[in-house]
Amino acid sequence: MISDLAGDLARADRAEAVRNAARGWRGARVIDEAELTAIRARYPDDRSRMGPVFRVLLFLFTLVAGNSLFGFIGVLSGIGGRERGDVLAVLALLAGLALAFVTDVQIGSLRRRQGGIEAATSLMAIGYVLGAVGWWIFDHNHSSTAAVPILCLLGALLCAAAAWRWGYPLYAGAAAAALLVVLAHLPLGRLWWIVLPLAAAPLLLRLSVSPRLPPAHRASCTVILAVALAGLYAAVHLGSWEAQAIEDLGQRHQPSPPGGDLLWWLALVATALLPVILLALGLRGRRYPLLLLGAGTAVASLVTLRWYVHLAPLWVVLVASGAVLMAVVFALRRYLESGPDEERHGFTAAPLFQDPARLRLLEAGAAVLTLGPEARTIHEEPKFEGGGGQFGGGGASGQF
Amino acid sequence: MNPDVAQAVPELAESGVVPREIAPLLLRVARGELLSVHAELRFLLYLGVLLITGGVGVLVRQNLDRIGPVVIAVALGLAALAALAWVVRVAPPFSWHAVPSPNLAFDYVLLLGVLLAAADLAYIEVKLTPLGSEWPWHLLLVALLTGLAAFRFDSRVVFSLALSTFAAWRGVSAGRLGSTLWAEPEAVRWNAIVCGALFAVLGIVLLSTRRKAHFETLAVHLGWLLILGGLGSGLTESGGTGLAWSALLLVVGAALAAGAYRFRRFPLFAFGVLAAYVALSRLVIEAIAETAAAALGCFWFSITSILVIIGLVVAQRRLKEPL
Repeated sequence: MISDLAGDLARADRAEAVRNAARGWRGARVIDEAELTAIRARYPDDRSRMGPVFRVLLFLFTLVAGNSLFGFIGVLSGIGGRERGDVLAVLALLAGLALAFVTDVQIGSLRRRQGGIEAATSLMAIGYVLGAVGWWIFDHNHSSTAAVPILCLLGALLCAAAAWRWGYPLYAGAAAAALLVVLAHLPLGRLWWIVLPLAAAPLLLRLSVSPRLPPAHRASCTVILAVALAGLYAAVHLGSWEAQAIEDLGQRHQPSPPGGDLLWWLALVATALLPVILLALGLRGRRYPLLLLGAGTAVASLVTLRWYVHLAPLWVVLVASGAVLMAVVFALRRYLESGPDEERHGFTAAPLFQDPARLRLLEAGAAVLTLGPEARTIHEEPKFEGGGGQFGGGGASGQF
Repeated sequence: MNPDVAQAVPELAESGVVPREIAPLLLRVARGELLSVHAELRFLLYLGVLLITGGVGVLVRQNLDRIGPVVIAVALGLAALAALAWVVRVAPPFSWHAVPSPNLAFDYVLLLGVLLAAADLAYIEVKLTPLGSEWPWHLLLVALLTGLAAFRFDSRVVFSLALSTFAAWRGVSAGRLGSTLWAEPEAVRWNAIVCGALFAVLGIVLLSTRRKAHFETLAVHLGWLLILGGLGSGLTESGGTGLAWSALLLVVGAALAAGAYRFRRFPLFAFGVLAAYVALSRLVIEAIAETAAAALGCFWFSITSILVIIGLVVAQRRLKEPL
């Protein structure tokens, strides 16, 4: 049954990947409706799927239903005192196992995918099992030094199993993050954070595009790679080294190391170089995750630079970096568009098969949240003070 | 890079399902030999605008005394003018329909110009007080000017800014929806509801007159969020007032869900279902609070959630929301 489910799911996901690409081609009007229908017929969908809005609603209501049902049973059990916790932990464990079974049935024989309900039951399954084990560990006077890594290890195993069996890349990322927490508790935790991602990255990079793996497992490898490299950056980051952040996470508190020694300089160099290396690898191989990670860590390193070196007042840094960013984008766009077929080195500024209308709607939503002005206070309307007060307009809010 | 699509494209081209002339392009994209950075460049431009306007805010706050109000006002005005002049120069002719941007930077330079101009107006109002005690009207002025710019240059981002500035004039903002709206006086609540109704009506008018009909989604969604947020804030009231607001939210949410179901407006359907469910639950929990609250509460949420799930599955089968 195990291989049947994995094989069925892989076939369904591969066909969905083609249909999904075809939807993008149709959105970009490179194929017409008849051709899209023909592709759908050639790669039929044998799963029961929901649209994004229904998926979110079903996910939310399943979480409410499952948790309140558990609460109802818990209240009805009517046991008080210390025993109550133990009974609830047993109930949680049973509920977790039952929910895992329900998830398996939905994804397996009921052929549900992207339906919201099975995602919610899978999340609750992991949560309840972890909750039950967590209760036993903490209730039986285990020190948190031992309890946290045990729980994280169990969480990593459960999430990894869920990612592999049910094809949820998010769980793969959670498993990788939990594993990093476990590693932080080991002696030389920081070294593990550096060595393991470096060792695993080449393999994960290959697996993330391997045709042998189904789409969900490829995506899982990509997410694990992203978490591992983020962990690597955190381990070599100058600020994390000075604050002994990894050691603190692993509850192995150390005094702050002296600044200016060899390790400090190594951390400084690594903080500067890692984003450059990630960006270079991403550009060379046109690997999107590496480009994103490279850009993200570059921003983090620039903020770190500003933290240590006050090159100029904050407003100069903000305006200059904004202006430079826009200038770089203009130059990049012009460079890409002036190439043959509007592309250079395998990169293009053209949208290709992205949906521009959806992008613009997202931008407009973001503008309401990030650029909207501070609302005036209605009941203070008559109180005008020329010298100050909350003010804003068209996003330019703040106190002048 | 997508190996499954890379494997499918030659087969599709061979069988004539996909035109042979576009197959090489599709294949290159699927193999990762061609990567679009269009969305990333747009995001970086947006980030650039955010950084510049943030920097201008800090400049004005920190250097007011040193630089002087006139210099700051003139500098902001000139910067805004420069950005808007470029926009006017390259803008395509006006049309009531959607107009493609002449280039990638157009929307963001327009946004930057509008934000700088708005900052300048706000600054002049604070320092030079031309409107005196009528200063809140400057937000309305900014909202109207921003709205005009949005229509003229066909920018959804600037249109959303116009709507949020109008709402700010009436004391409502995204930040307040999450915090102080719930503790604000009745006036803010009603302002949110009336603003939301205005936005929703504006959206309907735009759609029915086919004038900038593509702005309708934004206006209607923001409008309904404000209406439901305003009504929902009444749920925190105690006693009969809270019950009345709950009943009103239940009716409005259910009506929205029904209307959205009829017209296949999926996000609005979700807003309506969630609002109606929260309102109904508030009414029921109020009624059972005096009795065995915990058990009955859990029972209510488990049973009703299952019923909603069944209803949603049935509704999806009829509506068939696109994936």
